[in-house]
Amino acid sequence: MSTNQPPSGDPAPPRRGKIAERLLPGGTEPDPRFTLANERTFLAWIRTSLALLAGGIAIEAFTADLFLEPVRKGLAVLLLLLGMLLSAGAAVRWIRVERSMRNKTPLPLPLIVPLLAGAGALAAAVVLVFILWR
Amino acid sequence: MARSREAARGHEDPGLQPERTSLAWGRTMMALVTVSAIFLRWLPHHGLPILLLFAVSTTAAGVIYFTQRRRYSTSTAGITHETVDADTSAVLWTASAAVALGALGILVVLAG
Repeated sequence: MSTNQPPSGDPAPPRRGKIAERLLPGGTEPDPRFTLANERTFLAWIRTSLALLAGGIAIEAFTADLFLEPVRKGLAVLLLLLGMLLSAGAAVRWIRVERSMRNKTPLPLPLIVPLLAGAGALAAAVVLVFILWR
Repeated sequence: MARSREAARGHEDPGLQPERTSLAWGRTMMALVTVSAIFLRWLPHHGLPILLLFAVSTTAAGVIYFTQRRRYSTSTAGITHETVDADTSAVLWTASAAVALGALGILVVLAG
């Protein structure tokens, strides 16, 4: 386009989206670096949950002649459920961190960390038991 | 657009936040592609419903791919203006896609 506007001197802040206004009300805009860091942390959780989802689908098929059907299905559902909870939890955590950064309050503890640790250990224990007693 | 001009001019952040963030999205996109490949790999075992999961993960990867340029411009402008609008919709749809994959996966496993 030929409407050549001069480089604007006013640093018009980016307008906030409707969803952002509703989910992250009040407070002041945090340091953009922190917002981006929060987004990257969310994405790391999403990749973790994707690995669990792929693992859940694969273990059911991969271990067809290794484990009894209830064990296979149980493990697969456990992994898939964990992946689901983690991705939902990652979004919730992202919102909570964003809110506390806007309001300059201490960051919340990540509840998804004990969830991942506990369910991961449970899945490992199930596999161990069934490999030893097969 | 003003934003893309700014992006072309670059930003002053020595921590390279815009780069690291779009790389994180890129890694997530590749994870989604890998996951779709794994879903396809087990198509013979799980049957046609697995194609639904394949569709969800491939679509999510595609959306990330086609929004990467806009994302980089937005965060570069955000660093320049010292304020960046939190990308709420991207976070929500990505998490929803992963939750949907989990729910569909559970259905596929239980039905199979």
